[in-house]
Amino acid sequence: MSDRHQRTIAFTLNGRRVRASVATHETILEVLQRDFGLFGARESCGQGLCGCCTVLVDGTAVSGCLYLAAFVDDADIVTVEGLSRGAELHPIQRAFVEKTGFQCGFCTPGVILMTKELLGRYPHPTDEEIRHYLSGNLCRCAAYPDIIEAVKRAAELMDPATLTNPGPRRHGDTET
Amino acid sequence: MNRFELVEPATLDEAVALLDPDDSAVRAVAGATALILMMKARLFRPSRLVSLRRLQGTLRGVHDEPAGGLRIGALTTLTDLERSDRVRAAAPVVSRALRTLSNVRVRNVATLGGHLAHGDPHMDLPPILMTLGARVRVVSRRGDRWIEMQDLVRGYYVTSIANDELIADVHLPAQPADAHTWYEKFTALSADDWPTVGVAVWYRTGAGRITDARLAVGAATERPMRLAAAEASLIGAAADPASFARAADAAADAIEPLADIRGSAAYKREMVRVHVRRALDKGR
Repeated sequence: MSDRHQRTIAFTLNGRRVRASVATHETILEVLQRDFGLFGARESCGQGLCGCCTVLVDGTAVSGCLYLAAFVDDADIVTVEGLSRGAELHPIQRAFVEKTGFQCGFCTPGVILMTKELLGRYPHPTDEEIRHYLSGNLCRCAAYPDIIEAVKRAAELMDPATLTNPGPRRHGDTET
Repeated sequence: MNRFELVEPATLDEAVALLDPDDSAVRAVAGATALILMMKARLFRPSRLVSLRRLQGTLRGVHDEPAGGLRIGALTTLTDLERSDRVRAAAPVVSRALRTLSNVRVRNVATLGGHLAHGDPHMDLPPILMTLGARVRVVSRRGDRWIEMQDLVRGYYVTSIANDELIADVHLPAQPADAHTWYEKFTALSADDWPTVGVAVWYRTGAGRITDARLAVGAATERPMRLAAAEASLIGAAADPASFARAADAAADAIEPLADIRGSAAYKREMVRVHVRRALDKGR
């Protein structure tokens, strides 16, 4: 293997500076799984259609199966594993648990990361905007109605001003 | 995917110097979404990819042209194009079409230059840009030249871009205030599939008559193309259902549809007929 086909990349992965030696033809999805043991992004269709391999690159959702690992050099990568703080789930994750916005869970990491980009851009999305954003995330269990409810709930949880129901107490909450 | 050399030049001059006039296995890439699909399918086996991602500056973004119209950098992502207020004001037909082009993740990465250089007949923007009179500027070590959008794609995945050229930007001329435009996309499989038929129309009217018309079809044929006979049938005619039906017949007669998983040639011919009529009607 010649050096022309191999390179070392440095990037931020879920808040941590990391390095990896990658072949030029490898995708970020392959490198996340092989070098970092992260399997939240997983390959399903392998064609950018299904959304199961979604990762955030500099805050933007991409299909990890169509994104060369070499392209993340210097970038900030977030996978679903990077959302929680210790045992405390991210509000989007809490919303999906609360509304059961999944069945088997295979597509869920991708759906959650697309929701993160969506709510970053439209903190209070309409149903149409939710459907538009998530149209490229396929759920073979067809949990779509619950997914849409979960996204709306996530929007509430992320903007306390609109919170009508604080939801179940979380691990780590203190009694008041 | 096969192994290949990946180079990431910092300037446009360096980038074109890394292309090879005699080697089609050396390719410029931006988002690389479409090319990676072809590489995974082993339909394309590059020896070297010249990544344009470290080139920024004027090759990214939508700029007003002093003489009117827009200059759109080839590295502008489809998402940036979709959200551009300038594009929405100048050509809402483009903004609207982008909402149904693949999905958010692909649009976040894919670029306008890559979309056009790929030469895939199923791409949504080529027929639209043809009817809007867009031109593409390509650069090489030999200099630069303009290619009319309607001359860019010459066959099935075949473009008029030479091996040592790459797309630098796209010029979208200012549109007349009375231009009627529409893009009608028909997907025969799932809603988010590649189109089975894409029809773009552009026409002007005066005193109740159509004074000028452009009509292009994509996806159903081996390349996106203007349909001269259908256009001619519209000029001087009333903008009414009878004229639209005549143009639709002319379009259906003019094409040689390709059969594939999205339909037989005969089916696609009928779908072109239907969607030309609808596009003209919705453009009103």
